Amino acid sequence: MDVPDILFNPWFRSICGLGLIGAIFMGAMLTVWFERKLSGDIQSRIGPKYVGPFGIFQLVADAIKLLTKEDLIPAKADKLLFVSAPIALMGSVFLMLVAIPFGAIVLNGTEYPIAITDMDISILYIEAVSSIAILGSFMYAYSSNNKYSLLGAFRNFARMIGYEVPLGITIVSVAIMVGSLNLVEIAQAQNPIWFIFLQPIGFIVFFVAMMADMGRLPFDQNESEEELVAGWITEYSGMRFGLGFFAEYIHLILGSMLVVLLFLGGWNLPLFLTDITVLGVILPTVYFLLKVVLVILTIIMLRWAVPRFGIDQVVDMSWKKLLPLSLLNLGWAIVLGLYMGV
Amino acid sequence: MSGIIDSSSIINSYIPVAVFLVVSLLMPPVTMLLVKLLSPRSKAAGKHSTYECGSEPLGDARIQFNVEYYLYAIAFVLFDIEVLFLYPWAVVYKGAGVDTMVAVVEMLIFIFVLLFGYVFLWKKGALKWLN
Repeated sequence: MDVPDILFNPWFRSICGLGLIGAIFMGAMLTVWFERKLSGDIQSRIGPKYVGPFGIFQLVADAIKLLTKEDLIPAKADKLLFVSAPIALMGSVFLMLVAIPFGAIVLNGTEYPIAITDMDISILYIEAVSSIAILGSFMYAYSSNNKYSLLGAFRNFARMIGYEVPLGITIVSVAIMVGSLNLVEIAQAQNPIWFIFLQPIGFIVFFVAMMADMGRLPFDQNESEEELVAGWITEYSGMRFGLGFFAEYIHLILGSMLVVLLFLGGWNLPLFLTDITVLGVILPTVYFLLKVVLVILTIIMLRWAVPRFGIDQVVDMSWKKLLPLSLLNLGWAIVLGLYMGV
Repeated sequence: MSGIIDSSSIINSYIPVAVFLVVSLLMPPVTMLLVKLLSPRSKAAGKHSTYECGSEPLGDARIQFNVEYYLYAIAFVLFDIEVLFLYPWAVVYKGAGVDTMVAVVEMLIFIFVLLFGYVFLWKKGALKWLN
């Protein structure tokens, strides 16, 4: 079966890609529901229960509630920044969405990755646009003119100064093995051996740094609701709050996808099961999404297993543990890259 | 490129980026317009004041204060640029016309210079939270 040419047309792909925005919003809603339900289970509570079976439509009800709440802008806030902050945060996650492959379909033994676009530098591009989120959350905080928000924003920067360098170095370690910055090629290079088995230290550093990037507990010092009310988002209410909240959850999903793509083999299965991928057309995509769900599950369970670090501990840990470890992993990756001769 | 998109021109890869940029600029304002149509409005006094645990806000939040991590921040700029230099090297060091061993040794020298700086910073006491 031939693949029609229109599928490769960039304009056609962008229009189809807009549907993905809807899908990722549904995904974010499901993740919020999943997190609330799982948190309830872990703490011997019930969690969402009344809206739909197992409370699965709770988030639809929440979204309707947020839409019908009054739009409040504090009198002392910087209006222009206050209004444009959600745009920066949403723009960051939308632009990340463009370059991330979501799996692959196999037709007649040929693998067609599913992604909106494909560029040679996709991982570098994703690193760049995901940093806009830091700017977005600082705009949230600074425009509010609220002391808690400002403290949250400064903690956010301190954390970013810590994790960004080890994160970048581990990404380079993976790129060295593949010789490419293209996420699709990185995922395909992990057939049959996933990079988590080749670079276990790199995986640990990347996972911790990615948790910090996504601002998940134990790294949510910018929010720390027990001490800073709601940190950077304190002054926001209604749908403006909702947009920032959704952007955070989409960031969680996309970050988990990056973990899977870089270290957990993308849509490949480990060594002994690789032949199965030719059997099913959509099986690789199913594997990929299953792995993403497992990563999200781990992150949610870590939230209730580890207490929040102090911001000085985070920066200390990043500079004195993660950075040396990531450099060690870089050396190991260079040795491996030379030996494997990819 | 891995054959996902028409690769006749490099611009093709970035057309979806432009489309999504426009959509992301429009999406929050459109949502807020929807909120404006749906939501109630009231004119209660004090509704627009800044939140400070229920008491009257004291002064402005935009004050000057000591940023305890500025030494980290200076080191961060150096190391982040180091990572930027690593990216292109990681792609080309095994490419055609490049002597791989020479490229690796050159990069190791570059990393060791920065490693020396890192150890120096640590020993000098720059990597600690100021109080």
